[in-house]
Amino acid sequence: MREAGARNGRRRGGRGLLAALALLLAGSVLVAVAAGAVRISPATIVRLFAWKLGLAGPPDNVPDTTAVILFQLRLPRVVLAGIVGAALAVSGAVFQALFRNALADPAIIGVSSGAALGAIAVLLTGTAGALGGLAVSGAAFVGALLTAFLVYRLARIGPTVHVTTLLLGGIAVAAVISACMTLVMSFSSQSVQSIYFWLLGGLGQRGWGAIAIAGPLVGAGLLAAALFAGHLNLSLLGEERSGQLGLDVERFKRVMLVVGSLLAAAAVSVSGLIGFVGLMTPHILRLVGGPDHRILLPSVVLGGASFMILADLASRVVVSPEEIPVGAVTALLGGPFFLWLLRREQREASAHA
Amino acid sequence: MRSRLILVALVALLATACLPQPADTPPESPPEPTFPLSLTDDEGVTVELQEAPERIVTWAPSLTEALFALDLGEQVVGVSGDFDNFPAEAAEIEHIGGSNFQPNVEKVVQLEADLVLDGFGGGEDWKQRLREQDIAVFTLQANTFDDLLHDLQTVGRLTGANAEADELVADMADQAGSIEVRVGEEPAVSCFFEVGFQGGFFTVGPGSFIYDLLETAGCEPVTSDASDAFPQWSVEALLEDDPEVYLVSSESGSTVQAVKRRDGFDALTSVEEDRVFLIDSDLISRAGPRVVDGLEALADALHPE
Repeated sequence: MREAGARNGRRRGGRGLLAALALLLAGSVLVAVAAGAVRISPATIVRLFAWKLGLAGPPDNVPDTTAVILFQLRLPRVVLAGIVGAALAVSGAVFQALFRNALADPAIIGVSSGAALGAIAVLLTGTAGALGGLAVSGAAFVGALLTAFLVYRLARIGPTVHVTTLLLGGIAVAAVISACMTLVMSFSSQSVQSIYFWLLGGLGQRGWGAIAIAGPLVGAGLLAAALFAGHLNLSLLGEERSGQLGLDVERFKRVMLVVGSLLAAAAVSVSGLIGFVGLMTPHILRLVGGPDHRILLPSVVLGGASFMILADLASRVVVSPEEIPVGAVTALLGGPFFLWLLRREQREASAHA
Repeated sequence: MRSRLILVALVALLATACLPQPADTPPESPPEPTFPLSLTDDEGVTVELQEAPERIVTWAPSLTEALFALDLGEQVVGVSGDFDNFPAEAAEIEHIGGSNFQPNVEKVVQLEADLVLDGFGGGEDWKQRLREQDIAVFTLQANTFDDLLHDLQTVGRLTGANAEADELVADMADQAGSIEVRVGEEPAVSCFFEVGFQGGFFTVGPGSFIYDLLETAGCEPVTSDASDAFPQWSVEALLEDDPEVYLVSSESGSTVQAVKRRDGFDALTSVEEDRVFLIDSDLISRAGPRVVDGLEALADALHPE
C-alpha cells in the first residue's frame, strides 16, 4: 500500500513538475522575445504578432526595422535556442541511461568533435561557397554521424556492442580529433577564428534556415526517444536483467545510439559545441523529478529548452549591444545551481539514513 | 590573412596580459643615429644597441613591411610566417614561427639575429630567453595612426635608417593629411566595420588601430560605446543604429553579396543604397607603411568623390 501510494505521489509530482516546466518554458520564451539589445515595448510586440498572424493590420508608427529585428533576428534565435537545448538535453539523458554512466553527455561518442571537424574541413578548404552557413552545418552533421558510426563500429564485436569499449573508444576518438584541431590551429592561424567558434558554440545569426534544418531532425529524434522511454527505464536495470525482462538489448542499443547521435549532431551542427546543457539538465531534473524516463524525457525537453533560451538571453543582454559566448553562460548559470541541488539532495539523503 | 586580427585578440584574451599602453607621443624628428643607443619600448623595456643591427628578425608582418619600406629588406633574416607576404621578396625569408603563436627561440638564435622586432606585445617568456642570449628584443604596438608614425621613426632609429624613416613618415603624414582635408569637407558618416560573422559577429571598438583609421577617414562608427577593441556585437543593435556605410574586412571571409543576402540585412540603409564595401584587411590591420593605402580605400568607400 505504502509503495503504491508513493508511486502515485511520484506520478502526481511528475505531472506537477511538467506543468511547472511548461510554465517556465513559456515564461522564458516571452522574456527572451521581449528583451534584447534593442528595446521593443511589449505593446509593440503584441501588435506586430497580431499583424503577422493576420489578426490586425500593420501597426502604425513602428519602424520597419523593428519588425525585421523581431521576426528575422530575435524570434528565430529564441526558437533555435529552444531546439538546441532540448536536443542536447535529451541526447544527454539517452546516453546517460544507455551507458548507465553519470558522466555521459552528447559529446560522449565523439559526436561534438566530429561535428567540429566536419565544419572546419569545409571552412578551411573554402568549399562552402555560395551555400555558406548551410554547407558548414551540413558538413558538421555528416562529421558528427560519421564519428559516431566509427566509434560504434569500434565497439561492436559480432552482434554485441560493448559499452565500455564504446565509452573509451569515444573518448579516444574525440581526443585524436581535438589533437588534429589543435595542430590545424597552430599551423594555420587563419582557421583559429572558425575553430574557436566551434569550441565555444553560439546561436548567433543562424536564422530560420538553421531551424528548417535542425527542427525536423530534432523533432524526429525527440519522438523516437519518447517511444523508447519505457525501454530506457528497463535498461537502467543493466543489460542482463533488461534482457531477461524481454528487451532486445542489442537492437535497443543501436536504436538509442542513432537517436542520441542524431539529436546531438543536429544541435551541434547549427550551434557549435555548447557544453553543460546535455550533461547537467538530465541530472538536475532527475534530482527533482526522479529517474522514470516517462517523466524525465518530457521534463528534459522543457527544461533543456528553457535553460538554453535563458542562457542565450543572458549572452545577448548582459553587456548589450555587445554579446558574450553562450557556452560560458550555460556553465556559469547551471554549474552553481547544480552543485547546490546536489549538496541539498545528499544532505537530505544522509539525514534520512 | 583573414584572421590575424582575431588571432591577436584571442591570444591577448587567453594570455589575459595587461599591457601598458604605448605612449601617445606626437611624431617628432629624432636625433641623428648615435650608436650605442638606448631606447625604451612599448612594454617599458629599455633596449641597448651597441651598433646598428645587421641581422633583424620581425615578429609581425607590419614590421617586415616597415623594414622593406626603409630599404632594409636585405637585413631581414627571419619573419613570423605565412602572413609576411609583402613585398614579394618577404615571402622568401625564413619563418621563425614555432608552436602556440610563439617564435621558435632556437631558430632565432641560429639565425644569429642581433635585433628582434615584435609588433604584438606579450610573450615575456620567449623575449626573456632571447635577451639571455644577448639578442635585443624591441616591442612596438601602434593603436593609432600617430602611434604608427612614431613607431616607424623608432624603427629608423633602431636600425640607423633615420633619414629614410623621416622621409617615409613625412610622406605618410602628407598623404593622410590630404585625405583628412578631403573627408573633412563633408560631415562624418556613420559606419559599421565587420571583422567576422560566421564565427560570431565581431567588430572594432575604440582602442583598436582600425577604429582610429575609421575616424581619420571621416566615419563615426556606431560601435563607439564598445568596451573592447574587438567586441562581439548584436545584429539587432546594428539594425537599429542603421549605419550609412557597411564595411567588411576581407578577413571576415564574407563578400559584399553575402552580406546583402543575410537574414534581416535587407532592412539596412547601406544595403539598400549599395554602400557595402569590402576592405583589404592587410592594408588596415597591419600597422605598417601601407596603412595610408588602407586609409585611402576607407575614405573612398565612406566619401566617394
